Amino acid sequence: MHSGLEARMARLFNRHGDGRAVCMAADHGYMSDVTPNVVKLRSITEAAIRGGVDGILMSPGQAMRLASLFQGRDGPALIVRADWMNMPRLGSANVANAVPQRKLFHQKILTAEQALSLGATAITIYLFLGYGDEAEATGIDSCARFASECRKVGLPCIMEPLAVGGQITGANVVEVLTLGARICVEIGADALKIPYTGDVESFANLCRVSQVPVLVLGGARSDNERDALELFAEGLEAGCHGCLMGRNVTKSPNPEKMMRQLCQIAHEGYSVDEALRGERWEHVRLKATASKCTGCQLCVTACVGAHDSGEFSTHLSRLHIDPVALGQHKVMFCTLCKKCLDVCPTGALKWHDTTGAVELIVEKCTACDKCVEICPTKVIMRSDTSIRFNGTELAWYPIVCDLCGGDPACARICPTEAIFIDERKVIR
Amino acid sequence: MDGKLYRLREFIRVEDKHSLIVDASGGLSLGTLPGLEDFGMATRSVLGIVDGLVCSPGQFRRIPDRTRGEASLLVRMDWTNTLRGSDFVLPPTNVHHLPLLTVQDALDLGATAMVSSFLLGYEEEVEAGCLRNTVQWAMDGNALGLPLIVEVRTTGPRVSIRDKAIELGASYALEGGADAIVLPYPGRKSLESIAAFVSVPWLIKPSHFHQKMGIVSFENAAPELEEAIGLGGAGLWLDHSVFALSNTSVVLQEFALRLHQAMAVA
Repeated sequence: MHSGLEARMARLFNRHGDGRAVCMAADHGYMSDVTPNVVKLRSITEAAIRGGVDGILMSPGQAMRLASLFQGRDGPALIVRADWMNMPRLGSANVANAVPQRKLFHQKILTAEQALSLGATAITIYLFLGYGDEAEATGIDSCARFASECRKVGLPCIMEPLAVGGQITGANVVEVLTLGARICVEIGADALKIPYTGDVESFANLCRVSQVPVLVLGGARSDNERDALELFAEGLEAGCHGCLMGRNVTKSPNPEKMMRQLCQIAHEGYSVDEALRGERWEHVRLKATASKCTGCQLCVTACVGAHDSGEFSTHLSRLHIDPVALGQHKVMFCTLCKKCLDVCPTGALKWHDTTGAVELIVEKCTACDKCVEICPTKVIMRSDTSIRFNGTELAWYPIVCDLCGGDPACARICPTEAIFIDERKVIR
Repeated sequence: MDGKLYRLREFIRVEDKHSLIVDASGGLSLGTLPGLEDFGMATRSVLGIVDGLVCSPGQFRRIPDRTRGEASLLVRMDWTNTLRGSDFVLPPTNVHHLPLLTVQDALDLGATAMVSSFLLGYEEEVEAGCLRNTVQWAMDGNALGLPLIVEVRTTGPRVSIRDKAIELGASYALEGGADAIVLPYPGRKSLESIAAFVSVPWLIKPSHFHQKMGIVSFENAAPELEEAIGLGGAGLWLDHSVFALSNTSVVLQEFALRLHQAMAVA
């Protein structure tokens, strides 16, 4: 590999030594209408830098103008948009479209050498799929030229395959994106910027066939910032190397916080919940606000769904909702009171080493029923089935709340946040 | 201080950050223009009044005796037939927009800045070409220290929302690398939006000035200029029609006086 290419790839993807990059796309003013994120570009960029962004995608003009923000040892990598297109302004259906465009126009703007002279660590270019043969061939020609130029000067070329246009349907979009990813790699892309395919499995396949680092993009901004974080977390789970998010960061009410959350997920291994609350808890516990409970039973369904082992039935839920009066409910769940651990004569119940939840060592259990009887919230249930081990058979065994491994499904699904998690600071 | 900033300060005054510029390059597309038949003589009379004078490449030689205290010469980098109307002797059937000079050419001519048009509302290829040229001139200008002024022209038939199109043009010019932007007056609301995101000097072309040709007065353009200056605008950009007036110097003198004294206008 060209040493310049290697160095620049490392600058972008190995700032934290984990091979990942959290980047922000701030090139919207170059192609779409003047939206608030375009108006406040400098302050948004500064906020993203405070949030820890690893790389920022910009137009050539803004890259020249905001060059000072990229300087210094800890400055983010500059990614320059080397092409231009009018796709966001196609059609006249959008009433805000001041100058509607009739056909897709996509062109190369910069050479790789010019991008280098701007201080770029990488360039980004589009490959459009779905607008017909001619547009695809033109795009491939353009991408191939970029790839060749970039190879000569050691500049990483990030290609962005987009499945849009009349040939794209809901049924073929994943296949076309995967095709586009592979074509880009075959042309010579050093990394990809690509939309999420919608599920971990198909995106994992896309990442696998790509064989180069994949940066997932966020698409249109969601009002719920959890959506973007979950998309990113799923992308990482599928094997991508980071993100290049635009509007979900630049249009966020707090770009710095949003960027910090993305960085925590990518570089510090935070879950989405941990990133949202801004801190990592070693152990969690369930808490509830009874007045918020509507009795919808979603938590109960989520609980059995999360523990489905062929015994899918709500009577085996590790929590239950007791009606108290009309419209009033009591949420009964494991409070980690330790009474079951204390009463167990064989030490079959213990605190789980990592989650801090109650754990059953089934080999030690004698099905004496004492834990079931003593549970003050009545959430330890007898299993419907027997269990056999070491030649002995237990007629039943106690089913205890395992806090879903630290991310309880009941709290995650509760629409009114009546049941939620809190930090469990001390285990005794 | 880099070359671009140094040159920008030659025609945007340091003391008030304002500028009065007259574009006399219309002959490139329209031929002989009223008042500009003798280019050297016509422009001679305004050089001491305005801060910048836009010339076509060939007219630079008509202004050989300019002194340093007079207006800076800005060179028109491109040619377009969009200035021609349907009543022109050669009415345009297709829109064309061509680059004429390289940045090195402009520097060799002795220009203080480059001026190019950004056309919106025409064929996709025209707009794309404008963006490509803007970036290339800006990149080369950055290397050679020559600023690029981009004049947004939202005159195409596809413009459906004029003020938004002007905002879009300003954004494109900025993202493309313009060092100063010239805008048609878009209305108060859009001007506020533009002032919020355009981080380079911007000048307005007053609409009243053009609409009421022949009865030009500062009072016509006054509210727009006042708004622009109040929002941080850098000044006024007048086209060749000002030379058609019988009292060009007087009108420009009045503009310059009011602009640089930052007085409340009519």
